[in-house]
Amino acid sequence: MALLQIAEPGQTPQPHQRRLAVGIDLGTTNSLVAAVRSGRSEPLPDADGNVILPSAVRYLDAGIEVGLAARIAAPSDPLNTILSVKRLMGRGLADVKQLGEQLPYRFVGGESHMPFITTVQGAKSPVEVSADILKVLRQRAEETLGGELVGAVITVPAYFDDAQRQATKDAARLAGLNVLRLLNEPTAAAVAYGLDQNAEGVVAIFDLGGGTFDISILRLTAGVFEVLATGGDTALGGDDFDHAVAGWIIEQAGLSADLDPATQRLLLQTACAAKQALTDSDTVTVRHGAWQGELSRATFETMIEPMIARSLKACRRAVRDSGVELDEVGAVVMVGGSTRVPRVREAVGTLFGRAPLTSIDPDQVVAIGAAIQADTLAGNRREGGELLLLDVIPLSLGLETMGGLMEKVIPRNTTIPVARAQEFTTYKDGQSAMMIHVLQGERELISDCRSLARFELRGIPAMVAGAAKIRVTFQVDADGLLSVAARELGSGVESSIQVKPSYGLTDGEIARMLKDSFEHASTDKTARQLREHQVDAERLLEAVQGALDADGERLLSTDERDAIAFQMQELRDLLTGTDGPAIEQQTRRLSQVTDAFAARRLDSTVKAALAGRNLNEIEE
Amino acid sequence: MGTPCHFALFDLQPGFCLDLDKLATRYRELAREVHPDRFADASEREQRVALEKSAALNDAYQTLRSAPRRARYLLAIGGHEVPQEVTVHDPDFLLQQMQWREELEDLQDETDLDGVAVFKKRLKAAQDTLNDDFASCWDNPAEREQAERLMRRMQFLDKLAQEVRQLEERLDD
Repeated sequence: MALLQIAEPGQTPQPHQRRLAVGIDLGTTNSLVAAVRSGRSEPLPDADGNVILPSAVRYLDAGIEVGLAARIAAPSDPLNTILSVKRLMGRGLADVKQLGEQLPYRFVGGESHMPFITTVQGAKSPVEVSADILKVLRQRAEETLGGELVGAVITVPAYFDDAQRQATKDAARLAGLNVLRLLNEPTAAAVAYGLDQNAEGVVAIFDLGGGTFDISILRLTAGVFEVLATGGDTALGGDDFDHAVAGWIIEQAGLSADLDPATQRLLLQTACAAKQALTDSDTVTVRHGAWQGELSRATFETMIEPMIARSLKACRRAVRDSGVELDEVGAVVMVGGSTRVPRVREAVGTLFGRAPLTSIDPDQVVAIGAAIQADTLAGNRREGGELLLLDVIPLSLGLETMGGLMEKVIPRNTTIPVARAQEFTTYKDGQSAMMIHVLQGERELISDCRSLARFELRGIPAMVAGAAKIRVTFQVDADGLLSVAARELGSGVESSIQVKPSYGLTDGEIARMLKDSFEHASTDKTARQLREHQVDAERLLEAVQGALDADGERLLSTDERDAIAFQMQELRDLLTGTDGPAIEQQTRRLSQVTDAFAARRLDSTVKAALAGRNLNEIEE
Repeated sequence: MGTPCHFALFDLQPGFCLDLDKLATRYRELAREVHPDRFADASEREQRVALEKSAALNDAYQTLRSAPRRARYLLAIGGHEVPQEVTVHDPDFLLQQMQWREELEDLQDETDLDGVAVFKKRLKAAQDTLNDDFASCWDNPAEREQAERLMRRMQFLDKLAQEVRQLEERLDD
């Protein structure tokens, strides 16, 4: 690690001490790294001259492949090749099950409810997979720029919730990157355009990437980017266009919908190629196996129309949220490869009544903007004055109150950083503790919102009901990450939490992963693999034991418990030895016999959450 | 009061009539000075202070730029905190409110988007009148009661405006 130079705010180190910082667009389909060099922000190419790194990671018996090689191998090795991992970031097992029908991976639960993907190198969390992509970009940047990085600005969709942001930050940490700032992708795109063109006024950023859709309304004034509103859909993107085309092929070719993972992958690649070809041609010949058919642009446009309609609706809503009228929007910036689809450009142009801006490559514009911001944050002087980004929170934050309702403490689209307090009281005489349940979302019922954290304020002095005054303070920092504190005003008793969402990694998992990553660097391959198998085995044993202690009696029959106990003992016995492959095999066996148990536990947790717990319910 | 006055933060005298454009300009200048991004490299303590200051600035700006919130704040610093929930004795206004709500329901039933646009204009005009009325009486102690009543009416209309927006959203489906 390089020692950080400390500069007074506003002061700049000498030019020859220029501090190296990069902008990273960690995308669903592709990732890029960019940096400001000789006053220009540009993406950094790899040794072959490619700036785009496909966001694909393949785990092999020996080593890891990241990028194009992994993507090409995806159809032949679907279980060990992870694509579009961004869709899994910060998601829980339940969310993943929803996406599951589209994904060919095998998932196992981790100790923190986070889904792990079973690969030949053991269970990998989406955070680890993302970190493997980031490591490649970091190495590329350090080789190209010739030095260690002070830090990086990493972009996230504006619509990412707290859990997804935290997961992204964890991935960067795991890749050894110092995160200067998480930056919303649309804001980054505006930075790239704003500097080039010195725009002032209201700008809409339409960002249709591989897996997510974002719309942001910004006001640009004298170097200040003020986000007025954001909206979008975390499950809408170019991948959906591919799925639509793949569905069309299945139908036309009369294939059974129940395809093996390799065929699914191949089909999606064919579909994606057809979609891209239709950007320039009116019709394309599609082949799958012996089948061949013609897909016209008009047919394609009919297929994607519902998705385009969804994106336009989100646009209108964001414009309303921002308090401006549609005709006040002075410029529309297009971001994301899917905005190359002519019908998308046309529909957006019609909605806003003006042709959208497309002069910067829509795949590169986010990384270019992020690099500019990284350069500024690292303390390098910028031509044309300093730049300031005033972001907003994308989703409302609140607390659970009586009756399973969500009480908003900070409404969506509030400028960050922000701190806000709300007072509550006890509802029973002598109540000495209070449960604080932190939620994110727009809906009234807590079951429709995302649960971010629960913690308890204990040690409230005995008082009659309603006499205690408990102030709960929410604070959101410039990255959009939340911390919550509760304090009883009379006694000064307090409790606080840095919100570690339930779907993030536990500190233990992060510590172990960091430790693992150091160990990997210093030991030889066999020892490393053995260690990995051991860690995986220990992790699974620990998780299963915890689950058995908590719910074994309730959810399992005696026979089922015995079967699990037997497999656990087998694994424990193997762990005393050094036979890596045997440990791995037994770990897999144990994981298989506990799959149903994990699913049952998840269902029962969801049911418990739905039943709801009141803010005032817990008593000692 | 432990926290500095929102108006003082912007170098303004407490008052209801504000040039919102000027307020926005001043806000951006101040935000530049205190935003945590300027302290990305500074000590943890400085970063924390920047975070707090920046949050306080954002809070002040959000309060001042919304007419009902500004009105409530003015009355609060002028002496008594106005309780959030009380029974309101303002029968004429309540009657008008009910009529407006009914109209809004009709618009929803008829999915009448043009009607909604007209409704919005009328609402805006009513809000402007209320703002003028409040501006002329809020600092007169003898008219304190009237000022509170007007402030509550402003809040009602603000809520109504939000409902109009939600209606627009539903009609968009």
